Amino acid sequence: MDRREFLKQFTLYSTGSIMMAPIFNIIPSVMAKNDQPQLIVGVHPNYALLVQKTLAPLGGMSAFVKKGDRVVVKPNIGWDRTPEQSANTHPQIVKTLVELALNAGASKVQVFDRTCNVDRLCYTNSGIKQAVESINDKRAVCEFIDDRKFIPVTIQKGKALKEWPFYKDALAADCYINVPVAKHHRLAGLTLGLKNVMGVIGGERGKIHTNMGQYLADMSTVLKPNLTVIDATRILLQNGPQGGNLNDVKILHTLIATTDPVAADAYATTLFGKKPEDIDSTKAAYTMGLGEMNLDKMIISRV
Amino acid sequence: MKPKRMFQSTIIRRISQIFFLLLFLFLFRNTDYPGQETIPYAVNLFFCWNPLIAVSVMLIAKTVMVIFLPAIGIVVLTIIFGRVFCSWMCPLGTLLDMFQRFIPGTHTRGNTHFPDIRYSVFILTIMSALAGLQLVGFVDPFSILFRGLTFVVDPLMNIILVGFFDYLYLHAPEWISGLSEPVYQALKKTILPYQCVYFLSVSLSFCILFVIFSLEIVDRRFWCKKICPLGALFSILSRFSLLKRSPKKMCATCNQCATMCRMGSFDPEGHHLADNCSRCMECVQSCPQDRIGFHFKFNQKAMTHTSISRRHFVSSTMMGAILPLINTIDAQHKQPHPYLLRPPGAQEENIFQDLCVRCGECMKVCITNALQPTLLESGWTGLFVPQMIPRLGYCEFNCHLCGQVCPTGAIQQLNMDQKHQAVIGKAYFDKNRCLPYAQQTSCIVCEEHCPVYNKAIHYDTVRVKNKDGNMIEIKQPYVVEDRCIGCGICENKCPISGEAAIRVMVYKPKKFSYNLF
Repeated sequence: MDRREFLKQFTLYSTGSIMMAPIFNIIPSVMAKNDQPQLIVGVHPNYALLVQKTLAPLGGMSAFVKKGDRVVVKPNIGWDRTPEQSANTHPQIVKTLVELALNAGASKVQVFDRTCNVDRLCYTNSGIKQAVESINDKRAVCEFIDDRKFIPVTIQKGKALKEWPFYKDALAADCYINVPVAKHHRLAGLTLGLKNVMGVIGGERGKIHTNMGQYLADMSTVLKPNLTVIDATRILLQNGPQGGNLNDVKILHTLIATTDPVAADAYATTLFGKKPEDIDSTKAAYTMGLGEMNLDKMIISRV
Repeated sequence: MKPKRMFQSTIIRRISQIFFLLLFLFLFRNTDYPGQETIPYAVNLFFCWNPLIAVSVMLIAKTVMVIFLPAIGIVVLTIIFGRVFCSWMCPLGTLLDMFQRFIPGTHTRGNTHFPDIRYSVFILTIMSALAGLQLVGFVDPFSILFRGLTFVVDPLMNIILVGFFDYLYLHAPEWISGLSEPVYQALKKTILPYQCVYFLSVSLSFCILFVIFSLEIVDRRFWCKKICPLGALFSILSRFSLLKRSPKKMCATCNQCATMCRMGSFDPEGHHLADNCSRCMECVQSCPQDRIGFHFKFNQKAMTHTSISRRHFVSSTMMGAILPLINTIDAQHKQPHPYLLRPPGAQEENIFQDLCVRCGECMKVCITNALQPTLLESGWTGLFVPQMIPRLGYCEFNCHLCGQVCPTGAIQQLNMDQKHQAVIGKAYFDKNRCLPYAQQTSCIVCEEHCPVYNKAIHYDTVRVKNKDGNMIEIKQPYVVEDRCIGCGICENKCPISGEAAIRVMVYKPKKFSYNLF
């Protein structure tokens, strides 16, 4: 190799490495937990009260949100459906969580989801946009997904999935609160907390469907919510994940809160008369040591 | 009475021009999802008050349509004041005037010898409409302008600005992007469209606009005084206009009026032609002798000049009758295109093509960018008629904006229940490519997205041998045909690359025939 060739190749290589998309290495702090996860199941028809009541045994919102924290509340706003149709998280649940986070001193609370239908229709018709805006606090924003914020992340603990783009704001949050709605889903069986990560990932999400259970478990090694609140105020029993027919909806006035994402899903499964191991993603995440799946190894308190 | 010199007329006219241009652009920008189910005001106003579109649509439909009521206002305005629309209101005219300022030397250029074909174009359009072929969309200035803005100008402006700000956001140092991002967000809230949109064959629409603007180099308002059929209609109405110019003839010593007149409304002998004159009042203002004025006169005949010979009149009438006839033997009627999907609520194909004025409103408003211009799929006469291309965008279940903005009812206005049942087509699987069938891989993304409440896509759970030779359980989807509304979300979201493994086809395509006798 002569000098000219060396310089040429050097230039090409360095240009290439500069132009390459930045890759974030996020080492998940996933540790096998020795202590049993605490899981709270609240029931109350007033959803603002329900949220407060359910979070209280875990120490309230101030146990998760410190003063000045940037908080992400991630509901399911996936579908262009109304709150009664039960395809999205109930707007009152989202609103109350945002309010509690603000009261706990959050510097910013973001609410977003990558939708399946057109984003503007989903945000409006789910009632979530109006609910967040009705708080009338500049720190609380319900914003559309900005495609520029998806960054490729290496999934080091992934078994089947090695890299996938994630939403920057979700990764950078000081406190990430996952607020899925519990509902039926033909492929996944049910869609619960782990499946809700679909709303903060980029790329072609259809590809996730080829091996959904394991892929979801892999992705939850990257993004571990500080708090999972499953909205089971009303659940969609069939024709999910969109539903539409009010006859498919069952009203439960129930909310599940825990810090263990796998335990949350495992318990929510029982509301549908199923066993935790029926859901592939729950099983895969449990196998990877991401949380507890056995109901008898959780401390379940009903309020 | 001595004519009063109107110092301010040019300024007032420009204010009027700018006002109507801004109104046009405002309505253009608001031809979009308004944050609620229905658009609260008539964003298609410019098409509703367009008498050319009104006449041709009502002739082809052979009914009276209430939506065109505002056009009567414009007709009355023209009968009173003459062809004022062209110099005071027309957004295309305003844009041409603005563009013309950048071309040196056109002020002093005389009239070209290109014949005035406005009347021929007008008669051709009207006659074809009467005989059953809608050509108005190809020649109406609003249709051309709105389409051009929708397909080319707006997406291009958006992608350039978005690209610029995205580059700063992704690559510039933080202090720069910290400055640029608030500007970007402010622009997004005001003048930028909500999303980047893409259309088929945008170059074609660009070329049409490009030619019209380039002709301005040949002569001022070339399009308006030589081609525009709407201008021809206004000229015909202008013959009866009450506002008349005096003197009726140019002074023998000075021909300044003729050289500066943008509409070329003086004949070679120097007579003022009331039907060509657009009452821009430039001659009044610039007359060195202060001799010119416009006054209301009721029983005085003005000099007019309908520049169409008997021969041209007859030939354009004949052509207008023959073109629809020729169209009837087009093969599209025998075998309609199987993938040519029309918007929800579209009339039956032949009525749909008749009523559609190719204005592009529906394609502008479509929230998923699904509606695209038809090219030659249904013959040249179907050019620019909207079609849905599911791979580019699907029909959103709870959206019926296209029917709300359609000025002619080619796409009918539906309520939400009607929309939920409006059948665009039917979906069919290609089992040779569908993952659960062809590769024994689980998928059913289509089933998940199907918006029909009880799902138009179901599946069988079957045990199959996969590539590794293991028996696995897999869900193989199928379409429940009588539930499918052909919204195309399945085709849109199908994760395989290239053509989807599920495609929406025209449902029982009706052969339409032209009743000659």
